[in-house]
Amino acid sequence: MSNETRRIKAIIATLGLETHWRGAVTVAGMLRNQGMEVIYLGNAYPEEVIEAAIQEDVDVVGISTLLGCHLNLGGEVLGIAKKKGVKDRMVFIVGGVFPPNDIPKLRQLGFDGIFGPGMTAEALADFITHAMTKCQEGSIENITRGTATS
Amino acid sequence: MDEQKTTKRILEEKLRDLGHVSLYNPKALKEISKAFEKWRNTAVLETEKDKKNLYATPRTISGTEIPRNLLYTPLDVANLDYERDIGLSGVAPFTRGIHANMFRGRKPTVRQICGFGGPDDTNKGIRFLLEHGATGVNIVFDFPTIQEYDSDDPMSRGQVGMGGVAIDSVEDMETLFKAIPIDKISVSIVSHYPTNTAILFPMYLVMAERRGISWDKLKGSVQNDFIMEGVVRSAPELIPPYDCFKIQCDNIEFIRKNVPEWNPITFNGYNLRELGTSIITETSVALANAIETLKEMIRRGHNADWVAERLAFFWNISNDFFVEIARIRAVRRLWCKIMRYRFDVKINRAAWMRCHAQTSGLCLSREEPMNNVIRAAYHALAGVLGGVQSLHVDSYDEAYSVPTEAAMLISLRTQQIIQEETAMTTVVDPLGGSFYVEALTDEIERMILDEIEEIEEIGGIVKAVDIGWLHKKITAYMQHENTMIEQGEIKIVGRNYAKAAHVQSPAIDVFRYPKGVAIKRQKKLAKLKRERDNEHVEMCLKALQEACKRGENILPYSIEAARANATEGEMAKVFRKAFGLWKQPIY
Repeated sequence: MSNETRRIKAIIATLGLETHWRGAVTVAGMLRNQGMEVIYLGNAYPEEVIEAAIQEDVDVVGISTLLGCHLNLGGEVLGIAKKKGVKDRMVFIVGGVFPPNDIPKLRQLGFDGIFGPGMTAEALADFITHAMTKCQEGSIENITRGTATS
Repeated sequence: MDEQKTTKRILEEKLRDLGHVSLYNPKALKEISKAFEKWRNTAVLETEKDKKNLYATPRTISGTEIPRNLLYTPLDVANLDYERDIGLSGVAPFTRGIHANMFRGRKPTVRQICGFGGPDDTNKGIRFLLEHGATGVNIVFDFPTIQEYDSDDPMSRGQVGMGGVAIDSVEDMETLFKAIPIDKISVSIVSHYPTNTAILFPMYLVMAERRGISWDKLKGSVQNDFIMEGVVRSAPELIPPYDCFKIQCDNIEFIRKNVPEWNPITFNGYNLRELGTSIITETSVALANAIETLKEMIRRGHNADWVAERLAFFWNISNDFFVEIARIRAVRRLWCKIMRYRFDVKINRAAWMRCHAQTSGLCLSREEPMNNVIRAAYHALAGVLGGVQSLHVDSYDEAYSVPTEAAMLISLRTQQIIQEETAMTTVVDPLGGSFYVEALTDEIERMILDEIEEIEEIGGIVKAVDIGWLHKKITAYMQHENTMIEQGEIKIVGRNYAKAAHVQSPAIDVFRYPKGVAIKRQKKLAKLKRERDNEHVEMCLKALQEACKRGENILPYSIEAARANATEGEMAKVFRKAFGLWKQPIY
């Protein structure tokens, strides 16, 4: 019962020295409009993101990065999540501008959803709902939907 | 000058007393009005549903929802006073251009952005552009440099040399400009923030000094805009807007005194618009900042003419073609009025709205990226028709990565084709006198002035930033725009309109950063810190901190620190300690 009524909780951060905040705030707004509880963290480093995610006991961790450090700092986020044992109970999404070849690499690093310019609120919400179900079933690994980027 | 009155009030009062000579004679207008009514009721409104043909509001990316008529006639600009409102090029109010001979005298400077990797990598990039016909230099910095951390700072990890060039000290500045004739060519230093301008520009000056070039030979501009620091960019650590604005003015004061041909500030509308706002807010915020800056400089005892003759602006050019052209004309006229009637400047130059423009990156799409070549060419055309002094054309691959060399070359060629093949630069302000363009110019000027008044009534632009008014306005704009794109009201060809049935990843080359930049930079920093006089560096940093606390102009102290080979990160730490941190009221 309590599981069903609990609002989905998400944390949104821009990675490292990122200067762009439009994407992160836009996504935060989209999630809030979907009825989720959103914490906007602003600029943060991987350890800060995970620390905040654990403290706030979130369901979704959203990372925004446009400056080209999606693979290295993005990888750190997931590395720390695995180390802290939260990788499988949270949905990890990343958004920003990536070269097409990096998308399989981001997936390999362990991001559940990868979003680029052109993503719609609907696609994002669908993805999160779907991923949350998978997450509860403990089988989030094989999600292929929700990649709105080419 | 009346402190209590808004700029709009002051202009209204001063302009009321000037005479009015109508361009159109009342008899002709009456005849046109009759003919127009007839045409409207017969040719256009054949049926009731034809009403929708009369007005339309174009929805475009980065747009402003200004309703448009079907057809513009003298009736839309019935009050035109030719000399007062349009005039001649090089003559106030400069609607047609700031120079009499405009592009016959000098074509827009081809100033393409350059910056990636280490200073040696970017030096090669600058030379590539100059060898292919660029006529100015435009340097962007990497994220650690913009956010003011050294290449060896743990916070810079994984980000060194990305998005621009990494600079830590004067030595890097020397490498960056090696063999570039900085006494002959103008250099734009896209420093973004006032705080990093107060660090990076001193490094540039010390570099010139070491090359034996005196400061009065240097031409170019810095950005130095506190809106960039407080609103446009997010960052882990920012100083409060009031202190940031104070440093903005310190930079202007020092540069005006010591580097006479340098533009000490570029009021940057561009990046605010790219973040997500209308052309009106883009312009009104930049002008409100310029007004507040002039007030502060006058308070410091300086002459408005002396300050204003070196102020420069930076505009964004997006999709709504005629609005973009009209805005450049409108802001030229409005700025001239503000300078003449609010600040009583005497020399023409002080009333010039000189500007650099860049085509919009936000309007480019990731789908079918070659379409972006076409988009950017229209943007560039609007800039040239509007009469900008300098132009950067965005590259088609920007939704994928930093531009590749091949994409940069197409941007450069776009400018050269407009300038040399189309005869577009032959005649001054070719759209002047168009009923449509003049009506839009009037409307946009009015809207900008209204929004400046709104900002002034809040208590000025610094307060509007401090209390989050601007952040809120932008967020609302972004969300509205997003919804309109999702609903297909704003059409993007290839994304939500005429989308290809089978979308394939385009075979696009992406820019790859040079390898090993971070390690190279860290070694260089270690060597610098080993070899410099560290005691002297400490002394300089201490003097800088005391100057920050005393509230005097900090530039003489950051120059000394730069001479001592202090790093950017070391100086920025001093600022953070002296002024404290501020949390941006985002979201």
